[in-house]
Amino acid sequence: MRPESHHDAPLAVTVLVSVGRHPLTGRGRRADQDARGVELSHTLTGAAVELLHAGRLDEGSEAALRGYLGMGFESLSLLEQPAGADVLPALAEALEASGPQLVIAGERAEQGEGSGLLPYLLAERLGWPLVSGLAAVEEVKEGVATLLQALPRGQRRRLQVRLPAIVTVDAAAPAPRQSAFGPARRGDVDVQAVPARDDADLAQWQAQSARKRPKRLKIVKAASARDRFKAAAAKAQGGGGQVLTEVTPEEGAEAIFKLLKEEGVLR
Amino acid sequence: MLDTLLPILIAAALALAVIGAGRRVRLWRQGRPARVSLLKGLAAMPRRYLVDLHHVVARDKAMSNTHVATAGGFVAAAVLMILVHGLGLGAEVAEGALGWLLLAASATMFVGSCFVARRRRHPPSRLSRGPWMRLPKSLMAFSLSVFAITLPTVGLLPEDFGSWMLALALLAVLVWGLGEMFFGMTWGGPMKHAFAGALHLAFHRRAERFSTRTGGSGRSTGLKALDLEDPKAPLGVEKPADFTWNQLLGFDACVQCGRCEAACPAFAAGQPLNPKKLIQDMVVGMAGGSDAAYAGSPYPGKPVGEHQGHAQGPIVAREGKALVDAETLWSCTTCRACVEECPMMIEHVDAIVDMRRFLTLEHGNTPNKGPEVLDNLIATDNPGGFDPGARMHWAADLELPLMADLQQVDVLLWMGDGAYDMRNQRTLRALVKVLRAAGVDFAVLGNEERDSGDVARRLGDEATFQSLAQRNIATLAKYRFLQIVTCDPHSFHVLGNEYGELGGHYRVHHHSTFIAELHEEGRLAFRPWKGGRVTYHDPCYLGRYNGEFEAPRNVLRALGIEVAEMERSGFRSRCCGGGGGAPITDIPGKQRIPDMRMGDVRETGAELVAVGCPQCTAMLEGVVDSAAEVRDIAELVADALVEPPAGHAKGPARTARPLAEEVVS
Amino acid sequence: MSDIRRRDPRKEWIARNRLHPQHLEVLAALGRGTGEEAASEWMGPHGLIRRNPRAVGFIGPNGVKRIDRSGAQQGQRAGGARASAAASKPRVEIAAPAFLVAVVPDMAGGRLTGHDRDLLGLARQLADADPAARGAVLAVVFGEHKEDDFEGAGVDRLLHLTGPEIDGFAPEARLGALVAMDRAWGPRHWLLPDSKLGGADLGRRLAARLGERPATGVWQLEADGEAPLGWRCTARGAAGTLDFQRPMPRLVLALAECAEPVSETRHAAEPLALPEALPIQLSRIQDLGQVAVDPAGVALSEAEFILSAGNGVRDWDAFHHAAEMLGATEGASRVAVDDGFMARDRQVGATGTWVTARVYVAVGISGAIQHLQGIQTCDKVVAINMDPGCDMIKRADLAVIGDSAKVLEALVALVEKSREEKRNAA
Repeated sequence: MRPESHHDAPLAVTVLVSVGRHPLTGRGRRADQDARGVELSHTLTGAAVELLHAGRLDEGSEAALRGYLGMGFESLSLLEQPAGADVLPALAEALEASGPQLVIAGERAEQGEGSGLLPYLLAERLGWPLVSGLAAVEEVKEGVATLLQALPRGQRRRLQVRLPAIVTVDAAAPAPRQSAFGPARRGDVDVQAVPARDDADLAQWQAQSARKRPKRLKIVKAASARDRFKAAAAKAQGGGGQVLTEVTPEEGAEAIFKLLKEEGVLR
Repeated sequence: MLDTLLPILIAAALALAVIGAGRRVRLWRQGRPARVSLLKGLAAMPRRYLVDLHHVVARDKAMSNTHVATAGGFVAAAVLMILVHGLGLGAEVAEGALGWLLLAASATMFVGSCFVARRRRHPPSRLSRGPWMRLPKSLMAFSLSVFAITLPTVGLLPEDFGSWMLALALLAVLVWGLGEMFFGMTWGGPMKHAFAGALHLAFHRRAERFSTRTGGSGRSTGLKALDLEDPKAPLGVEKPADFTWNQLLGFDACVQCGRCEAACPAFAAGQPLNPKKLIQDMVVGMAGGSDAAYAGSPYPGKPVGEHQGHAQGPIVAREGKALVDAETLWSCTTCRACVEECPMMIEHVDAIVDMRRFLTLEHGNTPNKGPEVLDNLIATDNPGGFDPGARMHWAADLELPLMADLQQVDVLLWMGDGAYDMRNQRTLRALVKVLRAAGVDFAVLGNEERDSGDVARRLGDEATFQSLAQRNIATLAKYRFLQIVTCDPHSFHVLGNEYGELGGHYRVHHHSTFIAELHEEGRLAFRPWKGGRVTYHDPCYLGRYNGEFEAPRNVLRALGIEVAEMERSGFRSRCCGGGGGAPITDIPGKQRIPDMRMGDVRETGAELVAVGCPQCTAMLEGVVDSAAEVRDIAELVADALVEPPAGHAKGPARTARPLAEEVVS
Repeated sequence: MSDIRRRDPRKEWIARNRLHPQHLEVLAALGRGTGEEAASEWMGPHGLIRRNPRAVGFIGPNGVKRIDRSGAQQGQRAGGARASAAASKPRVEIAAPAFLVAVVPDMAGGRLTGHDRDLLGLARQLADADPAARGAVLAVVFGEHKEDDFEGAGVDRLLHLTGPEIDGFAPEARLGALVAMDRAWGPRHWLLPDSKLGGADLGRRLAARLGERPATGVWQLEADGEAPLGWRCTARGAAGTLDFQRPMPRLVLALAECAEPVSETRHAAEPLALPEALPIQLSRIQDLGQVAVDPAGVALSEAEFILSAGNGVRDWDAFHHAAEMLGATEGASRVAVDDGFMARDRQVGATGTWVTARVYVAVGISGAIQHLQGIQTCDKVVAINMDPGCDMIKRADLAVIGDSAKVLEALVALVEKSREEKRNAA
């Protein structure tokens, strides 16, 4: 960060961070997408970056939040909110008060509803434009940011957006740097008490750990019982691989081509 | 003329030496404080020098004799010279016997220095040149001139022999000799090693590694823990001054003999590490300056002269160059071959891990897959990021007894993270078969087990290591067992040598040791070996770290295998490249360490290489087109199992062992 | 050809009379097959299936006529009939719908994606639940498209919006259109795909603008009389680790395979137009167009289709060329990386990257255990290898034993040919 090299005020950036959850063990950690958002903020030269979290500070969340500090930050602002609270008003008010130019958020939280709505609701409430699925910020100049948006299969799209704006990042953004223990331990978590609003809807819904979704079978709409039987039998014997020995390269390639076609990976 | 000049000269040299010593001590004292018993250390120093250091030096017989002659001659000559020429005690005391002794000492030293000179005529590449090339001449100058000035003292030559011209020439040579030997000793010449080395031996940071008259262990390999409780305590080493003062002293003791360089697997593989250069860089950093004056082999691929630093400056820069590049530190496999070879008992691995700690804990700059592995260890307690609940999946059909069910057993089988690795699962299965065949009362922790913390610690993440270790210790404290057996030497080392500092004291055995014991007790019987030639690869963490060279060979012998030893085996075994997180940090070199090791195997003509470590298995098996098969000792034993002969019933052997009554917590 | 079956009593009579001179010709004409062979099966006058055993079978090796009763011969003929069946699906018209179910398909590449079809299937479930008051499925399509089967996908009404302001990435303009639509027709349900292709983004924008709390990641729906809209849904939350059971809201973002696509019926897909012109908005987001990306540079863990090289690859230029032609991301075995042919970040396996590709083509990789561990989650594995005994062959769904360079060359030729054909057809 070299603020002196910019004669105008440094770009004010706020990164919204949440407490993640490891998919296998359920332990608290840096949320992957949020950490990528923090990493993205590191790529903005001359930006004044602030980390903002709304939630509780307890044993489970502190290690995770300090994980963000370990990416090279001295402090993190925490808006104190009880579990199951709707953090939208608290965050919106904090952002209105601090007035950053750019807000970076992960696409979805790893805990709770995880609907990915929060950035959209914030954008709606603040009246700011929102760009989702960012891969990189290429340039910020005169109140306009040039962004690279990630599309499926590694494709990219270049966009320009007028600031202030909210951007969200997903797994296509640069991988987060390692969180170092020393800065994480030293960093300051600045807890601010703010009024909380209950999320009444969420409390009414039943949550259970995700069931494995049934794999869709290829349904054969066959006229005769024989065709249906054949289809079912073909599925059952599909376990072993097919080995083509002593074929010409052309025949082999033909078989592979057919499989690639069937899987739809050839464009 | 000589009579008046000599005492002045000697006094001046001694005075300069003392001033230099003061300056040198000031350099060392830039380091952090360390708790060392000064008097005890000084008292133990002669024994450490004569026994332990010489044990290492004596591996090279010719050099050892050369050093005895030169160093012994020098010490005697120097003391006698001060007495005879400095204080003028030559003629009066013991009828000039001192003079004769001085003649003998300087003559011995001269003979030694001739051998040194011969060595320096075509020095091997591991030796540093530069000022070291003039050392034999300086030694000769000193010994010859002392010899010459003593001749009149004992009356072999008349007092006024020769002209004043000759006397002046002689004096000039003597000044050169004195300069190198006294002045250079404390002002940074090659002879510095004698001064710093002696003190280094006295104030060594691992006093336990030296033998004692009562028979000490003579081995101290566990890393020392960082204090994480104190938020002000530094996390590793950022700048040379962050080393403890006795570590700095240790670096200064280096003689640049390059034995470490010759033993280092990373250097041989062309990775940018040379232990000798690293130590010299630390000396440069301590005194301030650039490495341009270094006259040995550089780090492969890194020219000399581009790096510089000072005692309060960073060793590794976040960007650009400082004293050392980070990849140099990450090239180390922590195999301890350098430490084992070092005649000055310098602790290279400690220093490297200290610097790695700073890079990981403060910079957050573990290279390549390092951050991912550490995150996995934090989140899932294993480096692969597997479900901790799946740790026992490999043994779903084995119905392994769990500690949680039994509470008390003879043997706790520590599975290690190899439980997730398909290759190592074969070894584990074999080991379970062997334990069952011998009727051993054992159990596993199952899903309660965690990574031992070895990889985290070698990667410098002391926080994760201590967290894992403390939780493992808490788990182990719930149960009663006599000993821990593991097929992973890394877990073996960490559990046995590094958990103690955190409050976990256990009797730990490597599976090869345990199998050897079982065989000796007659609880295992093997059918004779029918396969081809077999060689054995010593895992670093079993051999050099824990001194277990014999048990695996005994097991192989019991199997009827005659081991065709590799040239580098036993304490000189070459690393497989899998230690210290090296496969994770993956610093590129010119060739791969396991390829070189399989080359060693090929030279023996062996069809099979026996190993005793999951890392070694993975690394050596990963070598393409190798002629030799890689099998763990447990697998070889399991394959050769037959019913034990009658008379060796399993019952008595078990009841002969006391039940857990002296369990350590 | 008409699908309506017409009966000709005279011909049926001739067919029954084996002595009639025209018997065989009529038999052939009545059968499903073409005139060359005699029909072996036809429907008799009473609806019974009649068989002519003389018309089927073949001459066996001993000169004896054989009839294969396994049906293999019949199976060969079934194709033609099926094709015509598609056209004969019953057509459903909903003239006066009780309500509207609005669906905004992604239309990736100008066509309905599988996800879109699933979503339309879900929309049909909602629309057709009450036979007494059926709703209509209204699809909103932005920009030019190439889809020609909205009818078969279950669309009753189609709103096709075009114009420069909604082309490319124009979420604000599209949102304005959806809001205008909501105001004009007030659909009872809004369904969008919860997909990276645009639905997830647009759906959330719509939810925020309409002030509706949507259900996201919905994958299951069931009727529930107590819920306000009569349905309950199961929604994935917390990064796929939780399922929420909740009453279905007005706006639903559904996952792929949330329902079966429509397959039995055809619908009107009647074009609609918005009653008023779209409001003109000042866009704060400007689309500067897509950026060219090298498929070889796509992160391995994200790649969908990987062509991976091992020790058996000799001609590296040909391998890179093949990867480029197939549009595959390049991977490598540890050995290929160690030998310096591929970069370290391309290494697949337990010690490299764990890949999740749908199709993994291993070229000259023998399949070390660590490598096989790294491709555990791959759906389809294809191996090209010289050694038929190696572990990769055992793992592979399809293995070709042979010279990998030649097979790749032939494969590239095939791909080029098919591209050429496609280009000519288009």
